[in-house]
Amino acid sequence: MSNDLIIEGLTKQFASSNSVAIADVNLIVKEGQFTTLLGPSGCGKSTTLNCVAGLEQPTAGTIRVGDFVMTDTARDLILPPEQRHLGMVFQSYALWPHMKVFDNVAFALKLQKRPSDEIKKRVQESLALVGLEELADRYPFQLSGGQQQRVALARAVVSRPKVLLLDEPLSNLDAKIRENARVWLRDLQQQLGITTVYVTHDQSEAFAMSDMIAVMSMGKLQQYAPPEEIYERPANRFVAEFIGVTSFITGILQRVEGKKATLKLASGELLNIRKESQSDYVWKEGEHTAAAIRSERVEVLPESAPSRENTVKAHIATRTYLGSKWQYTVETSGGSLRLESTDAIQGDNLSMYLPPDSIILLAN
Amino acid sequence: MTTAEQNLRPVAVTRPRFSWDAIVQWLVVIVTALLVIFPAWPIILQSFMSKPLYEKDRAFTFANYTNLLGNARFWDVLVYTAAFAVVTTILAVIIGIVLAVIINRTNIPLRNLYSNLVTIPYYVSPLVLAFAWMQMYGPQGFGTILVRTLKLPIWQLYSFGGIVIVSAMYYVPYTFLYASSSLALADPQLESAARIGGASPFRTILKVTIPLLRPAITYSALLTLVSSFELLSIPLVLGNSVGIDTLATYLYTIGVVGVNKDQGAVAAVAVLVVILVTGLVFLQSKLVSMERRFVTVGGKATRPKALDLGPWKGLVSFFVGLYVLLGILLPLGCIVLTSFVPFLSPFMNPLKMLTLGNYQGIFNSPAYRQSVVNSINISIFAAAIGIVFMAVAALIAYRSTFKYRNVVKYMALYPRAFPGIIVGIGFLWAFLLVPGLGSLRNTIIAISVAFIMRYLPLGFSAVSPAVLQVSDELDRAGRVAGATWLGTIRHILLPILRPALVSGYILLAISFLKEYATALFLVAEGSRVIGTTMLELWKQGGAEPVAALSTIQMAITAVLIIAARKLLGVKLHE
Repeated sequence: MSNDLIIEGLTKQFASSNSVAIADVNLIVKEGQFTTLLGPSGCGKSTTLNCVAGLEQPTAGTIRVGDFVMTDTARDLILPPEQRHLGMVFQSYALWPHMKVFDNVAFALKLQKRPSDEIKKRVQESLALVGLEELADRYPFQLSGGQQQRVALARAVVSRPKVLLLDEPLSNLDAKIRENARVWLRDLQQQLGITTVYVTHDQSEAFAMSDMIAVMSMGKLQQYAPPEEIYERPANRFVAEFIGVTSFITGILQRVEGKKATLKLASGELLNIRKESQSDYVWKEGEHTAAAIRSERVEVLPESAPSRENTVKAHIATRTYLGSKWQYTVETSGGSLRLESTDAIQGDNLSMYLPPDSIILLAN
Repeated sequence: MTTAEQNLRPVAVTRPRFSWDAIVQWLVVIVTALLVIFPAWPIILQSFMSKPLYEKDRAFTFANYTNLLGNARFWDVLVYTAAFAVVTTILAVIIGIVLAVIINRTNIPLRNLYSNLVTIPYYVSPLVLAFAWMQMYGPQGFGTILVRTLKLPIWQLYSFGGIVIVSAMYYVPYTFLYASSSLALADPQLESAARIGGASPFRTILKVTIPLLRPAITYSALLTLVSSFELLSIPLVLGNSVGIDTLATYLYTIGVVGVNKDQGAVAAVAVLVVILVTGLVFLQSKLVSMERRFVTVGGKATRPKALDLGPWKGLVSFFVGLYVLLGILLPLGCIVLTSFVPFLSPFMNPLKMLTLGNYQGIFNSPAYRQSVVNSINISIFAAAIGIVFMAVAALIAYRSTFKYRNVVKYMALYPRAFPGIIVGIGFLWAFLLVPGLGSLRNTIIAISVAFIMRYLPLGFSAVSPAVLQVSDELDRAGRVAGATWLGTIRHILLPILRPALVSGYILLAISFLKEYATALFLVAEGSRVIGTTMLELWKQGGAEPVAALSTIQMAITAVLIIAARKLLGVKLHE
């Protein structure tokens, strides 16, 4: 039996208001996989994680690791957090200020009443894993933020949990340390081969580390897929907008056949598109719709460039200098688009090439 | 999803292991509720009964209420109490605010010394303060006789004005402490902005600093109003001989001293007072939550520049010093001196008559000695049990998923509406009515339980802010690491909360030491405490033994405060 983390029909409703924190979340995290719950604040990602940890009680759903059922509301079972054998790293690291690093890490083993030489050995192994074996006698306040985060990780894995939960553990680090910590954390997870659920609102973190990304919004799971698929084939408008810099271009659908279609803009310009998407939606000809395009996929052409397939004329509305590149908002007959270019574009008008395989048709 | 279907085969379920968490949580809820209900029910019951509860042929009646409401004396007392409470509150709040601003925001000499001295009444029993003023400024007081000999105009301490002034003195520290901590937390940028906008330093204080104190002013004003409404000692000691009565002394007179104790009337007064105070407490919580908009916790480390009073600073310092000297140091010094002489008079040099006779008198009398020992025991042990209980209650209220955690919170805070004397009446009747409990009255257990109930709100509110300051990720981390809720409390929260618990403990110990009103009705042969013995001795006219007991009480309090500050590094207020 594998030790996949399986979440089914997870729903949490607040008793006081009728609002729903999470609604019918279904998720399978394969053993050893790194899955990120990604979404804006209030999307339900932390609630989902806390339900897995047992720190919050869902109103419905089951959560289990392989055969080990931790939550099953149908059977009125919600194991308390201490009986779930999980590891967890918190946003503030949550190192206990009155305990030395050693005691912080040893806490779980002491509760399990392990022999003291075993505790010592395993704590040292854990601290060595995060490269902090010399700091065992320090108190948390004597450590830097990065070191505290490492201790928190050592503490989370010391009792060899089957699942590791990470609640925005990098968000309190300085930007530069954070990028190193990302690589380090991913390496460590690979090394331990531990099933990991990671919560963040930072998409670059999610893309850099995850095997799978679960995009959440308004308590619902919007898309659950590997990073490339999330980026290349967003399931719906929310995912397309939330991930990367995305623009929408509107027009009327023509010649829908198989995986191909053409979008006709108000000006009569035609865009050939591939209509791949995870949705079951059936597109019809003559339908008014918006297609998504990543701003970095748009190619800027000189205004005078010869007209070819998928070129659209545009007028520059705003230009912003970002250092490494320029960002433009341009007006087309299909609406306004954002695009990026390393060149400073002269003049107010331009032509753009929108590659057919980078235009994504989304369900209405 | 196919994977989900594969995984949908039935699996065995491990049920949660047994844990003490729920049992302890239930226990604390039940005990908290009992502590409140236990003294309340006999009073409510009695107020509707024609005869005392222990008599068989009693019957249901509204007569207690109708008699009371038709009693002109009761209405006089009610109006007098309201006037007394309102005037006391206004005076105490104004003095408290002025002192807080002068001491915290100006550069007058000796301001650090003053900031400690003006809080002294906070730690002294109002009973002791009343005796101290009586010894100093009463008709036969040391100061009064001195002034009279000098043929200067004389005052009458045993009057509305006198009672109000002494009571205000007692309550000034409340406003002073709240206003000071609010001043320390206020964002200095708000004052800087006013200065940059062109306001003079004085105008800045008037238009920015003091308005920002509004939450502190509202809170301490209502706190003062509620407690002066139920204050017994000062009106009793200073007003008794001239026939002045407030609701508390009225209850005391008809309930304890009266020849024909009318229990129905006592109960009816008690119920009406509790209803009135509940209203005030409710008003307090409403107003305080409305004042949130003024809360400006900036957490900035930069302290604002003190306002330079220039040539005035000497004069202002002199007046603050005069207040401290006349209001606090002289009366308390006078009572300490009284305890070391056969009798105090301005016509005889007290230093030539120094004696320990008054103390020997106390300690040679088994009953008086016992009251000191009882007070110390209650302070040490009942306060320790109390603070642990209150801390666990606060942890259930703020740090558990227990279904009835809000019940704990409201129940723990509700005794604010019970004046001490009424708590005493309630526990007395409850202990007498429940078979088998009557014998506890002769031990300090009964009084300890009543004190713990009376001070539930104090201990609960002393611990709660500290609990709320600890990030809940710390206990969540403990749970995930494998500790039960109780284990998390034991290994993580209690050690982190230790400073708050110690200061809460000392605060509770001091309160138990100076508490007298709750014990007045409940006291029996074997359960005397310092406060009840002082009142007993006072009624017998013994100023010197009263002074000795007051001094003992202040000395123990001083030891507790110094121990807290020096040894444990704990501050008793924010």
